[in-house]
Amino acid sequence: MSNQAYLELQNIHQMFGTHQALQDVSLNIQEGEFVCFLGPSGCGKTSLLRIIAGLDMPTSGEIFQAGNNITQTPIKHRDFGIVFQSYALFPNLNVADNIAYGLASQQFSRQEKHARVRELLATVGLSGSEGKYPAQLSGGQQQRVALARALATSPGLLLLDEPLSALDARVRSHLRQEIKQLQEKLGVTTIMVTHDQEEALTMADKIVVMNHGVIEQIGSPQNVYTHPSTPFVAEFVGEMNFFKAQHSGAGMMQSGALILQCNPGTETTFGDDVQLAIRPEDIRFNCRADAENTLEANVLHLEFLGSRVRSLLQIDSHETPIIADISMNEMSGLNLAQGQSIRCQLPADRLHIFGGQA
Amino acid sequence: MNQSNTATTEPSQHNTAQRLFSNLFGRRSLDEWSLGSVLIIGVLALFICVVLPIYTLLSKSVENRAGDFIALTNFSQFFATPSLYNSINNSLFIALLSTTIVTSLSFLTAYGISRTRIPFKGLFRTILVLPILAPSLLPAISLVYLFGNQGIIKELLMGESIYGPIGIIIGSCFWTFPHALMIMLTALANTDARLYESAEVLGASPIRTFFTVTLPAAKYGIISVAFVVFTLVITDFGVPKVIGGQFNVLATDIYKQVIGQQNFEMGATVSVILLLPAILTFLTDRWLQRKQSALLTSKAVPWTAPKRQWLDRVFLGLMLLVSFIILSIILMAVYASLVTFWPYNLSLSLKNYNFDLMDGGGWAAYWNSIQMATFTAIIGTGFIFFQSYLVAKLPGFKVLKWFFHLFAILPLAVPGLVLGLAYIFFFNSPNNPLNGIYGTMTILVVCTISHFYTVCHLTATTALKQIDGEFESVSASLKVPQIKTFWRVTLPVCMPAVLDIASYLFVNAMTTVSAVVFLYSYNTSLASVAVLNMDDAGDIAPAAAMAVMIMLTCMLARLVHWLLGNVLLKNTQTWRKK
Repeated sequence: MSNQAYLELQNIHQMFGTHQALQDVSLNIQEGEFVCFLGPSGCGKTSLLRIIAGLDMPTSGEIFQAGNNITQTPIKHRDFGIVFQSYALFPNLNVADNIAYGLASQQFSRQEKHARVRELLATVGLSGSEGKYPAQLSGGQQQRVALARALATSPGLLLLDEPLSALDARVRSHLRQEIKQLQEKLGVTTIMVTHDQEEALTMADKIVVMNHGVIEQIGSPQNVYTHPSTPFVAEFVGEMNFFKAQHSGAGMMQSGALILQCNPGTETTFGDDVQLAIRPEDIRFNCRADAENTLEANVLHLEFLGSRVRSLLQIDSHETPIIADISMNEMSGLNLAQGQSIRCQLPADRLHIFGGQA
Repeated sequence: MNQSNTATTEPSQHNTAQRLFSNLFGRRSLDEWSLGSVLIIGVLALFICVVLPIYTLLSKSVENRAGDFIALTNFSQFFATPSLYNSINNSLFIALLSTTIVTSLSFLTAYGISRTRIPFKGLFRTILVLPILAPSLLPAISLVYLFGNQGIIKELLMGESIYGPIGIIIGSCFWTFPHALMIMLTALANTDARLYESAEVLGASPIRTFFTVTLPAAKYGIISVAFVVFTLVITDFGVPKVIGGQFNVLATDIYKQVIGQQNFEMGATVSVILLLPAILTFLTDRWLQRKQSALLTSKAVPWTAPKRQWLDRVFLGLMLLVSFIILSIILMAVYASLVTFWPYNLSLSLKNYNFDLMDGGGWAAYWNSIQMATFTAIIGTGFIFFQSYLVAKLPGFKVLKWFFHLFAILPLAVPGLVLGLAYIFFFNSPNNPLNGIYGTMTILVVCTISHFYTVCHLTATTALKQIDGEFESVSASLKVPQIKTFWRVTLPVCMPAVLDIASYLFVNAMTTVSAVVFLYSYNTSLASVAVLNMDDAGDIAPAAAMAVMIMLTCMLARLVHWLLGNVLLKNTQTWRKK
C-alpha cells in the first residue's frame, strides 16, 4: 500500500459524440508531485483535468485518489482545490470573503476564519488586501487570491487550469516561481494544465505530454527535453530539425546522399524508414575534420536573437535547410557571415531516431 | 471451501450493484438532485400553463360544440362567412399600414437620438417611451376626445370619421411606437467608427455612407421592428374595440365570438388564424438573432456624430413633432378625465374618478390590478429568475433543459387574446383538476406570468450568461452547496436584471387587457378591463380616468425601479467600481 500512487488514472476514455477526446489514458501521480499536462489546444489536457475534478465524467476508466475509487464521486465529496483560467473570483465578495468562502461550511469560528485568511494572504504575498474587491486587483493579484481560496480548505490535490495564461509575460515568469515555491513549501500534490512548454519545463517534477487525446510521453522535464519519445514531443517541447532517412547498416542512417553515424541501440532494422532529429543548439561548429558526421554547409541567413544567433544552413546534397543556434560567445570566435561556407557537426549522441514517418 | 467461495462472490456482486446504483444516482449530490427536482417542477409548470392550454385551443378549433372532431369545418365556415372573412383584409390593411408608419418613424427618431447632435436627447427618449406605461386603450380614448363626434379638433379630419381605420391606425401607432423605438435604438447603438472613417477616406458621400454603412448595420433591427409591430397590431384588440366602430378586425372578432355570441369554437378558429403571423414573427426573430450576433465584434470603436447643422435641425424638428403628438394624446386623456361633463361643463373636477358610481368594477378593480401586478412581479420574478438560473447553471439534465427552453420561448409566439381563450378552454373544463383556480386571482397571475414569460426568461438568461461559468464548479470544489452560491453571489450580481424583470412584469400586468379580459370574474375585475367596460357602457370620461390611474401607477413603479437601481444598488454594489 505504501508504494501506491496518490492519484491513479486507469484507462480513461472520453467520447464527446463521435469525437474521442481522451483515448486510454493511464497515469500515476505520487504524493507531493508537481505534474504538468502539456499539449496544444484540443489535445485533451483540460478534459483530463475536468475528469479528475469530477466536473466531467469519463466514458470509461477509473480514478483512484489515496486508494479510494472516486470515479463516480460527486465533486463536493472529492478532495481538491481548483484555480481556473478565469480565476472565477466572486466579484461581489471582497478578498477575505472570497478566500473564506469554503471555510464557512466547515464550522470554523469567526476568529479561526480571520486567522486562516490572514495566514493564506501572507502565504501568497497579499497581506492587508482583505477588504478589496476583485475588480480593484491586478490580474496577478487576482490569481493569487484564487490560489489562496483553493488552498483554504487544505485540499490534498491542487488543480490549476492554465493559471498563468491570462497574465502578461513578466508577471507570468514571476508567478511561475512563486507557485512552484509555494507548492514545495506546502507539499500539496499539484496538477497544472498548460500549453506553454517553458512553464512546464520550469515548474514540473513530471511532464505529461499529450496530443490528440493520448499521452505521448511521461517524464521529468530533462528527460522529455533530451529524450523525446515521439517526433511530436520533440517538436512541441523545444525546437527540432528533422531529416527523413533510412537504416542503412549497423549504426548508419542514410538521408539522401548523406550517411550519418548514429548511436546503436535503436529498434530499427536494415531498410526501415526513420526520422532523424537534432536540436538547433546541438549542432557543433569548431569541430575536428575527422570527427563523425561532419558536413559542409552554406550559411543562408543569420538572425540575431540577443543571447544567441540563429543560422539557417544549407547542407551540401540535402534539400531542406536546417536551423542551428550559436551562442554569442561561440559566435565571436566564428565570425560567421551570410553566404559563407562552414563545417559543422551533427554529433552522433545528439541525434534522435524516430521509426517511421511522422 | 464452499464458504470462502460465497465470501468472494458476494462482494463482487455487491460491487456491481453498487456501481450500477452510483452510475444512476451517485454522480449527483443531494443538493444537485433537489435543485434538479425544482427544475422538473418548473418544466411541469410551464407545460401545464403554456403548452396544454394551447394544445386544448388547437384541438377546439377542429371540434364542434359537442366536442366531436370535425376536421377543418370551422375554418371553411369562417372563410365562407363574408363578414368574418373581411376581417382578414381589414386586419392586414391596418397592420401593414401601421407597420410602415411605425418602422419609419422609429428609425428616424432612433437615428435622431443615437446619431445626431440634437440637444435634450434624454428628455426626448423619456417622452417617446411614455406610451409603454399606458394601456393600449388610452390612445383610443384620447382620439375620441380629439377627433370624435364632439372632438376638439375633428375638423382636421375633413369630414372623415375617426371611428374606423384612421383611429385604429393612429392608436396602434401610438402604443406600439415605444416597442419599436427600443429595438431600433439597440440596432443603431452598434456603430463602428472605423467603417465611417474608411468610407470617408475612400471618398464616399454622406448619402452613400448612409446606404452602405448605416443602413446595412441596422438592417436586422429594422426587419425585427417590422415583424414585431405587425404582430402587436394584428393581435391587439383594445384599440379597435374602442375606436374601430363598425370596422371589424380579427382580434375584435374573437372577442365578439366568445364574449358576445358564446361561440367558443369559432373563437378558437379565429385564434388559430391569428397565431400564424405571430409564429412567423417568432421564427423570423429567432433567425435574426442568430444573424445579428455575427455582426458585432469586440474591437468596434464607438462612433461620435459630427456636427451637421441642417441635419441636426431637421431631426430636432422631428423629435419635437413626435414628442408633441405623444404628449398631446396623453395629456388629452388626462384632461378629459378631469373635465366634469364633456363638452357641456368644462370645469375641472375629480368626479370621473368616482369609479364606484359606475359599472366596471369601481376602485376595487384598481386595487385588484395593483394586487395582481404585485403578485405577478414578485412570484413571476422569483420563478422565472430561479428557473433560468437552473437552466443556465445546473450541471446535467440536458433533455429537461431543452424542453424548458422550448416552453419558455413559446409564449412569445402566442398573442394575449389567444392565450386568454386557451386558458378558458383548459382551466374551465370540468374534468381539469385545476378547475378550481378558474375565476380567481390565481389564474390572472398565472396567465399574466405565462403571457410575458419569454422576454423575462431571455433577460435573466442573458444576465446569467455574463457571469463566469466556473462559479458553480469553484463552490462545489469548496464543498459549498450550490444554492448558497446562488444566494451569496449569483443573485446579488444579477440584481439589476432581477429588478428589470420585476418592473417589466408589473407594468405589463397593470396595462394588459388582451389575455385577462376572458379570465376575470365579478370579484377579480381589473383596472384595464374596467377601462374597456366603462368605455363600452359609454362612460368614456371615467374610462379615461382609469387609464390615467394605470399610467400614473406604472410611472410610479418605474420611478421606484429607478430609485432602487440607482440609489440602493449604487450603495450596496461598490464592488462594481474599479
